[in-house]
Amino acid sequence: MKRERQGTRDRAVRRSLIHRNPLKRRRGPRQSRSIPLHVSIENRRLKGLNVNISSRFKHATITLPTLMNFSDKYEETINYINLIREFTSNQHLPNSYKLRTVLLNRLENISTSAALVLTAELSRWDDSCKSKLTPQIENWNHDILIKFHQLGFFDLFHGSPDFLKLENSSTTNTNIVPYIKGRCGDHEKTRKLKEHLIEIIGKSIPKWTFLSSGISEAITNVSHHAYPESEKYQEKDKFWYLTGSFNHKTKELKIVFYDQGVTIPKSLPASKIWEQVLSALSKLPFVDRKKDEMMLKAAVELKRTSTNDTDRGKGLLDLLEFVKQRQSGYISIISAKGLYKYSRENGQEYVKTERFKEPLLGTLIIWKATLDMNQELTE
Amino acid sequence: MESNARYESRINRVIMKTFNIGREFSGDPAGRYRSDGGFNGERFREDVLRPLISQLKDNEKLILVIDDDVESYGSSFLTEVFGGMVKYGYITKLSLLDKVEFSFTDPDYEFYKNKAIQYINEAKFNSVQYIATKGP
Repeated sequence: MKRERQGTRDRAVRRSLIHRNPLKRRRGPRQSRSIPLHVSIENRRLKGLNVNISSRFKHATITLPTLMNFSDKYEETINYINLIREFTSNQHLPNSYKLRTVLLNRLENISTSAALVLTAELSRWDDSCKSKLTPQIENWNHDILIKFHQLGFFDLFHGSPDFLKLENSSTTNTNIVPYIKGRCGDHEKTRKLKEHLIEIIGKSIPKWTFLSSGISEAITNVSHHAYPESEKYQEKDKFWYLTGSFNHKTKELKIVFYDQGVTIPKSLPASKIWEQVLSALSKLPFVDRKKDEMMLKAAVELKRTSTNDTDRGKGLLDLLEFVKQRQSGYISIISAKGLYKYSRENGQEYVKTERFKEPLLGTLIIWKATLDMNQELTE
Repeated sequence: MESNARYESRINRVIMKTFNIGREFSGDPAGRYRSDGGFNGERFREDVLRPLISQLKDNEKLILVIDDDVESYGSSFLTEVFGGMVKYGYITKLSLLDKVEFSFTDPDYEFYKNKAIQYINEAKFNSVQYIATKGP
């Protein structure tokens, strides 16, 4: 009898899983995948994700990897985060697999943006199971513990552990602002971020007003586009998340904004600027027109003054203004499978787009600037 | 002759009225419509700017203090306020630019002044009928 090759075996497993226990289509926001959860779990396990299923109770345990960030570990990071989202979205279905544990024991380093997105997803999971989650921190890496403590991660849960002994004992040089969770229209909450950053850095941030304007427009975009009625989002899901961090050694300031909405490329067809986006995309080869990164680029860079309806959709340009005014740093916008990155360095501006295999289920905006403490913070 | 000159200077004198956005409206003006938050552009235009401008006499102008305790202005707010004044036919571009001046001490806020003027110039007079939006 011929021995089955591993690839053939994997395909057979996937095929059999597809035909097993077809789940009812869930109500609520559409997910990027329409395949059943158990198939998705198996696919992700084949990609190397550490997820264990207790088949008897249909309980799942996810063990997060050692490194999580959106720069050089994007695909792995987003695979874990999307898997948590899939469990959360199926949590209410009676016969579905339930997420029981997310282990952070192996985690050694996580970027500010990945920490915010993970926190947002775990917050959503906590909401979906009526705030029953409790953190088990016994085996956590010390710096990870402090990072999440600073981020306000443990405020999500009832009965958070006592962290008084941990204050200022981090071996890293980075301080993180407790995350701010807001609803559509909560513009005044950006002041909290400013106050925390001044507390951490010690002085005000030059050109802050342009960063504030960018965040404000990001919040307005959430109100207008991120959670459309047609996608049946529930009120409890319509949030945005904001945080910032400052590295005292490298003087790097990072501001991260995240919403879990429908994403910019997917919201464009229903927006007022869609015709102009189509016009801009028509200059591209046909195969590139529907790519998320191209739609993102077109949406950000539209020359809107040439249109008749001149006052619509100017907000995305505001996001770039902080970097333009400072003449240095970058802004990255990740939405669905697209990345748009605008940076300035030595008087030159650079634009980069990239396409990912796995989508981010929302929109993530990251501003980064390096502060010159001697020149800039003497005001 | 001297008394005539004094009389002319008095009738040509422009009276400046001041409105401090940060202190009299909000330090966080943001958003376009009433559903976008409490201190949105539609509210500022309809409840503040339009009444203020309509009350101005021929020899009066309005100074908007834009940088006193104000965090920032997004394009959505600025375009709804200043572009909207012209677009909804409340006042012509030239009259609005003549009646309103912007005051600031922080040089960064010149950016917002220029944006507001840009949106006034880009708007088409009386091109859209205003329909009030609902609040949250």
